[in-house]
Amino acid sequence: MASQTKADILAQHETNAALKTPAPGQITRHAKDLGADGMLSPLDERIIAAASEALEAGQTHYVDVPGIAPLREAIAEYLNTSFSAPCQSSNIIVTAGLQESRFLTIQKIGETFDSIGIPDVVHPGVQKALGVRTRNVVSIAVDADRGYLPTLGAIADAVAGGCQLIYLESPSRLSGAAYTSDEVDAIGQLLGESGATVIWDQGLAPWVDGGCRSLASTEDAPAQVTTIGEAFPGMGLASWFIGYIAAPENQIPAMQSQKQIMAICTSTAAQYAALEASSLFPTAHPPRLARLRSAKSDATESAQELNLNVIAGDALNVIALRTSNDSAAKLRAAGFDCADGGDFGASEVIRLNINTTTADALQALR
Amino acid sequence: MSKKKAQGTNLLYQLIGEARNYDDVIIMGRGDPDFDTPAHIVAAAKNAMINHHADYSPPEGLLALREAIAERVKRVNNIDVDPATEVVVANGGQEALFLMVLAVLSPGDEMIVPEPNYNTYADSLAFAGGVKVEVQTYAENDFRADPADVAAAITDKSRALLLVSPNNPAASVISPPDMQAMLDIAISKDLMILADDIYDLFVYDDFEHVSPASLPGGKERALTLNALSKAYSMTGWRLGWIVGPADLMARVKELKAAISGGASIISQHAGIAALTGPQDAVEMMAEAYRRRRRLVLDALDAMGMKYGLPQGGQFVFADIGFTGMDSGEVAQRILTEQHVLAYPGSAFSKDRKDYLRMTFLQPEEQLIEGLERMKVAMRDMMAER
Repeated sequence: MASQTKADILAQHETNAALKTPAPGQITRHAKDLGADGMLSPLDERIIAAASEALEAGQTHYVDVPGIAPLREAIAEYLNTSFSAPCQSSNIIVTAGLQESRFLTIQKIGETFDSIGIPDVVHPGVQKALGVRTRNVVSIAVDADRGYLPTLGAIADAVAGGCQLIYLESPSRLSGAAYTSDEVDAIGQLLGESGATVIWDQGLAPWVDGGCRSLASTEDAPAQVTTIGEAFPGMGLASWFIGYIAAPENQIPAMQSQKQIMAICTSTAAQYAALEASSLFPTAHPPRLARLRSAKSDATESAQELNLNVIAGDALNVIALRTSNDSAAKLRAAGFDCADGGDFGASEVIRLNINTTTADALQALR
Repeated sequence: MSKKKAQGTNLLYQLIGEARNYDDVIIMGRGDPDFDTPAHIVAAAKNAMINHHADYSPPEGLLALREAIAERVKRVNNIDVDPATEVVVANGGQEALFLMVLAVLSPGDEMIVPEPNYNTYADSLAFAGGVKVEVQTYAENDFRADPADVAAAITDKSRALLLVSPNNPAASVISPPDMQAMLDIAISKDLMILADDIYDLFVYDDFEHVSPASLPGGKERALTLNALSKAYSMTGWRLGWIVGPADLMARVKELKAAISGGASIISQHAGIAALTGPQDAVEMMAEAYRRRRRLVLDALDAMGMKYGLPQGGQFVFADIGFTGMDSGEVAQRILTEQHVLAYPGSAFSKDRKDYLRMTFLQPEEQLIEGLERMKVAMRDMMAER
């Protein structure tokens, strides 16, 4: 006999559009997959050695819920030096990747507020995280001419309307456009005046040439800002899934408790690998950025020659294009995958990773 | 204003935190086997770092791992699943548990839970907005969950029945006739079943584990979780799974993508090695737990302590009611005074303030030392009465 209870569960599921939001892959599937957030990168043998050594030494057991102490210290140090974001290891929770960071912050910080402001164009992982347990969402308009970032005015309107928790990305996960330092200061000032709280996804910030200002570095608002991101991107750990949350200390206990409830801790092998990556990152990352700078410049030039509409973006690892709605399908027909802007809330946009096949993908769009 | 006392999961983590301060602490609380992960699994992980570090894994896990899981649940649990659509890999049994609860329970729905039970079920249920309906079990019956009591607890809001066998913390195993009766109730009252089989390889004496999904009519209404943590001593790798009918597993898969995405690729390759490689380490550990269980029970008998016979699992749930003190206080004093970490029953259920959960996941000489120290602490407590 068919189960009505199960039928009810499935019917309820079918109506949960947020949970079903399509999203680009977390990691690259193949060389022509230009849609993923995480890129294929070589893995330094020193990382392999460090992770292996830890495992062989018996680091195969549960570790502290927020992460092993040295990695939390390394992430805090990285945020201090790279983003001038004042934090200590006690502000850090190591997560099983960026999506877990999104989920924990949106759900646990979110449950202390009546509503959460979400930009109209945002990574679909945000909608998914909201789909697990519904929250009251306030829509924040974005400026297409500014890389689909919400304007300061739109953020101010949301706050003035009573929304005291805002989710922002800088750089935008779709376009790679980042807020300028002045804009970040202005947002910080708004938070300082209003007392509002922000979850700030800065996962693409390491890919910005010359650095990218973090909201946590502002004078007015660091105590109201929680930042999230991937730990040491580009070091070959994308498939290992390791991310961070850096939060004011008063917000840590609730998220730590939830992390315990849903995972106990993050994989020890991944944590020891990330720890080693932290020491290599400062020297390994600049040359990688230099290569990307050149590759993105070439890609932008090619796109312009092909009369494609390039959206100005600061992150060097992606290029976003304003195109016709069938562009994603056209790329798929040519064997390429891309991030479909429709999944982010901007159907006229596609996003490509910068790698060895990007130029070929652009040709396929002619 | 007085500081609020930690409860449930937070109480356990408070005790774990204090235990770290003692160099000579003996851990008889946390469910983390003392054995390190078998060498061939570590070697497979190292190989994966070299050869597969950038492999793509979908949120539901590598197909090769899901195939290994499907083979395992057929071999051990007699559950037939299609690895393509009926298996989702999770970041450990804990995430599997969270996903199962979220997949089935919505705000206001009731889940029938034989008590005592693993505290995280209550935490996950609270997150989902569900309601826990407790069915009590008793030490004198070795914490047997009586199907008649389960049937009596069902209301028109009941949506699921939680069956953890062997149970944590009470270590009872649901007998095959009782499991059939539980399934019959679930079918007749149209409840979903959440089955937690994580201790299925650790069943003692003549007791027998049976998965509800293996029984006729069970699979289509059951989600079944398991993990590598306990059987392969892989707690730090965070690798578990859920199996169930394809329609419900599609929901689990979407929840997995929303909560965390894929599991670490290295852990997944280690998991393939664990499930498809030699199993002698599992046998060795199971044999060690059998010996240790006997040792602990003998020591408790010598101390005159009562307990429900642990029919499975890796722990014993012992009655400390004779102290006249709340288990939280007893656990705290045993830890502070004698540096032995045992878990208070009150962290698992508000009605179990007379119990301690003691694991036997330490070498025998340490268990003997730990029990000796506990005896001293309890003697001191009794002397104060």
